[in-house]
Amino acid sequence: MTSTKLPISRRHFLQVGAGAITAAGMLGTTPLFASGTDVVKLQFMYPVGVSGDINRIVTGMINDFNASHEKVQVEPIYAGSYDNTEQKVMTSLGVGEPPATWLPINSALQTFLGMDALADVTAMAKADDIYQDFLPGFLSICESEEKLYGLPFQCSTPVLYYNKDLFAKAGINKAPDTWAELMETAKALTIRNGADVSQWGVTFGGGWHDWIFESFVRQNAFVPWQKDKVMFDAPEAIDALEFWVKMVKEGVMPSASTWQGSANDFMAGRTAMLYHSTGSLTNLRKSSPFEVGVAFMPKNKTYGATIGGGPILMAKNQPDTHLQASWTFARWMTNTQNQTHWCKETGYIAARKSSWEGEDLKAFVNEVPAAKVALEQAAYAGAFLQVPGYHKVREYLKSALDRTLAGEIDPTSALKDATKQANREIERLMRRRG
Amino acid sequence: MKPSFLKKYGLHAILFPVAILWISPLIWILVTSVKTRIEVFDSSSGLLPQNFIWENYPSAMSVAPFGTYMVNSFLVTGGILICQIVTISLAAYAFARLTFPFKNVIFSLFLLQIMFPIYAIFLTNFITVRELGLMNSLPAMIVPFIASGYGTFMLRQAFRQVPTELSDAAKLDGCGHLSTLWHVYLPLVRPTLIAFAIISIVTHWNDYMWPLLVTNSESVRTLPIGLGLLAKSDSGADWTRLMAATVIVISPLLLLFVIFQRRFVDSFMHAGLK
Amino acid sequence: MRFPSEKSTKESLVALAMLLPSLIFLTAFTYWPILRSLYFSFHDVMLGSNKIYFLGWENYERVLTDALFWKSFRNTAFYTLITIPAAIICALLLAVALDTKIRGVALYRSAFFYPVMIPSVAAGMVWVFLYAPGYGPINGMMDILGLPKLEWLYSSEWALPAIMIMSIWKYSGYFMLILLAALQLVPRDLYEAAKLDGVSTWHQLIHITIPLISPTIYFVVIIGILHSYQIFDYVFVMTQGGPADSTNVLTLYIYQNAFQYQDIGFASTVANMLLLFIGILIALIAATLGRRVHYLGS
Repeated sequence: MTSTKLPISRRHFLQVGAGAITAAGMLGTTPLFASGTDVVKLQFMYPVGVSGDINRIVTGMINDFNASHEKVQVEPIYAGSYDNTEQKVMTSLGVGEPPATWLPINSALQTFLGMDALADVTAMAKADDIYQDFLPGFLSICESEEKLYGLPFQCSTPVLYYNKDLFAKAGINKAPDTWAELMETAKALTIRNGADVSQWGVTFGGGWHDWIFESFVRQNAFVPWQKDKVMFDAPEAIDALEFWVKMVKEGVMPSASTWQGSANDFMAGRTAMLYHSTGSLTNLRKSSPFEVGVAFMPKNKTYGATIGGGPILMAKNQPDTHLQASWTFARWMTNTQNQTHWCKETGYIAARKSSWEGEDLKAFVNEVPAAKVALEQAAYAGAFLQVPGYHKVREYLKSALDRTLAGEIDPTSALKDATKQANREIERLMRRRG
Repeated sequence: MKPSFLKKYGLHAILFPVAILWISPLIWILVTSVKTRIEVFDSSSGLLPQNFIWENYPSAMSVAPFGTYMVNSFLVTGGILICQIVTISLAAYAFARLTFPFKNVIFSLFLLQIMFPIYAIFLTNFITVRELGLMNSLPAMIVPFIASGYGTFMLRQAFRQVPTELSDAAKLDGCGHLSTLWHVYLPLVRPTLIAFAIISIVTHWNDYMWPLLVTNSESVRTLPIGLGLLAKSDSGADWTRLMAATVIVISPLLLLFVIFQRRFVDSFMHAGLK
Repeated sequence: MRFPSEKSTKESLVALAMLLPSLIFLTAFTYWPILRSLYFSFHDVMLGSNKIYFLGWENYERVLTDALFWKSFRNTAFYTLITIPAAIICALLLAVALDTKIRGVALYRSAFFYPVMIPSVAAGMVWVFLYAPGYGPINGMMDILGLPKLEWLYSSEWALPAIMIMSIWKYSGYFMLILLAALQLVPRDLYEAAKLDGVSTWHQLIHITIPLISPTIYFVVIIGILHSYQIFDYVFVMTQGGPADSTNVLTLYIYQNAFQYQDIGFASTVANMLLLFIGILIALIAATLGRRVHYLGS
């Protein structure tokens, strides 16, 4: 490193300086792409979002792939959580050695596009059955301006979980279907001893409550973002937050929680209803000492949901043969049979219509009707906050939600603040990119 | 030192409840590691499990090649420790017993290592490790930690507590600096060395972010990455297996600690000098 | 300027040789990144991109006017000023108590030290359970003691104190171990002499033990301050900085900026500011506490 000079140009622009990042990439001893043999070697970086066994399932699937494809060898690289995976991919991008394929959360789409890191696979998809067979909502998470950049692999949405025992105890026999019913049901299920609450009506999984919040806004028939700005201060969003505030003021829901904590709370019977990811279905079902009900998130103007989880994306910075191989791999991971397998093993929602029409999943749905709820709700689902710099935008939004629910600020001012801050950040990134 | 019976029991009366408080999370970890998933949060099932589900252990081990991870963890922490002991003994001796220009400035430079937040240096170190051609190898997890400002500081403080008469005597016997360090100082500060060793091992044994960033293959990865598979779940933790894996990860450390803490007792200086 | 004698020149060379192994690795893995971080802080550097723009002081102006930076700063300071003294006092008492030959000393030592060994991911998760407002044992205990139940991690008021309590649990044993090691360097005959003079246990602690291990106490205080960086691990697992940024601390803020917001320039700036604050704090401690340290050997 020491040999690389750090030129500071008088114009405020250093193309290659980059603290030697690029220079390092070019001088590195490892070849960018394996060559010399006919076998194309690819890396696939993925997070484990649901449970440890996923690592085994992914590795198993990739072993099958490698066994059945002579010319392509994929190396599976477990990269931690979604955040860790993103860091690992970005760090590799920075030194000019991106993995051929990776699996980020779908919100990161614009971020990677901003880095000019993604291969456009629209043509390959059109030559295939992609546009016909994938659920449109799910396919949309890989799309920007009519172009396709990946294939949806592990998709989830928030759903409403409820404790059937507690419902029966309170004499309620069906899950709420509208916001008004949600409020009533939550009231009926809240149990207090004086100032102490021993059982909440409903809890929204904290830490991802901005994701759940977007679902509420979508239930007001509005999507609070476009690819270059957010509109958290729209009436539909303010209305949603006002509804949340009302729930807290009525004392039927805690003003804050954590992602892990809220799942525990549900399993321990501390909350009768829970908004959490479909990805948690297996865990909640297997760990709760009562029967777990799953329902659509109640509607207001319409049903609505936000898609979490992610697509398999492919790197732009790779030779054609490698891109072709990457496509073969992504295509294979998302084929009908593998999506069926993946859905059954993990609880993620299969993204292909043909998977759901197959006998396997039909039998599975009979056995676990809850899985079907997630599929049906997916018809109302869309991508989650695909804006540049989504991490920071999420922080602004979460902070606004927390402060409002804690009673420090009113919904309108909080969301106006958050919108202003978020848009300023997005503009900064767009300017930098341009 | 012969405390009276009253004093002896008095100490227990204070220490025992505090110790119980301290180990209660460990008890919860142990108990949870042999429960069924349903029992964990079911208040009606009580603290103890109905049946001991030892199955959680092999099941936790099956999510990743824990055997390989364990060997790698030993190699990495052991490698770091050996290198550190060499670098810090030399440096600490220089700081404690030699005079040279800019001593305080250079010492402050050593402290910089612990003062600078580690996440701000990850990126540059990633590039350096890559340039050295060490990516995805065990040395990648060792080299950034070979020098230790922390260890140097700790050992310097201990060396300065060693009476100068002892080193003067060694010098009269014709010992050079290195042999004084080896024959006089290191044996005398053995408790500090052991304390440092324990701390260094524990720190690097549990390191997660850096190994995750610089390794790709399972053949070079370490235990915390296996643990991460069970903990970093977006779906709520896999409690029973996470706790089983935790027990697996900490038991070698606990064993090591129980063995080595005995060494504290029979220090030469402690027993009385002169 | 006086000329160095031959002896002192030779001693300097010996010192250099002894420092060299450390200096080589420090240069590669500490000083070089710090220099780069200094350079980055004057630029717009994006993780994953090789374009870099000169900004001048803009990042520093941004830091100083950034409300979240100051909030994280306050949280960090609050955490450090309460947790570290508490853990050290706890550790000192434990170390003195466990420097005796009481029955079961190995068990006691292990009981207080084991929290250090628990990986922070697992420890964080366990405490999420312990703090659970409804069924968590901590609130259960508060109830028995007649104290009000708290929302702990769900409340912006109590989330940080909750993490502080957990840190005391996790780090008292750590400091205890270091102090215990130092106590071994105290010659026993000093205690014997004190005993003959009829000095009480308390006076022994204040007038003999503490002065004699003062170099190590000094070390522990400084290390303790730097250890407050570790809070990152728990915040990351337990609260991700929430609710309402009440548990956001500077190390988390650096991490977020560098790896989530890809803003390496700004992250470097915050890191440099943190280094500056910590440097000043340590210099103050060295100038006050450091001067009162008693070295037996000197």
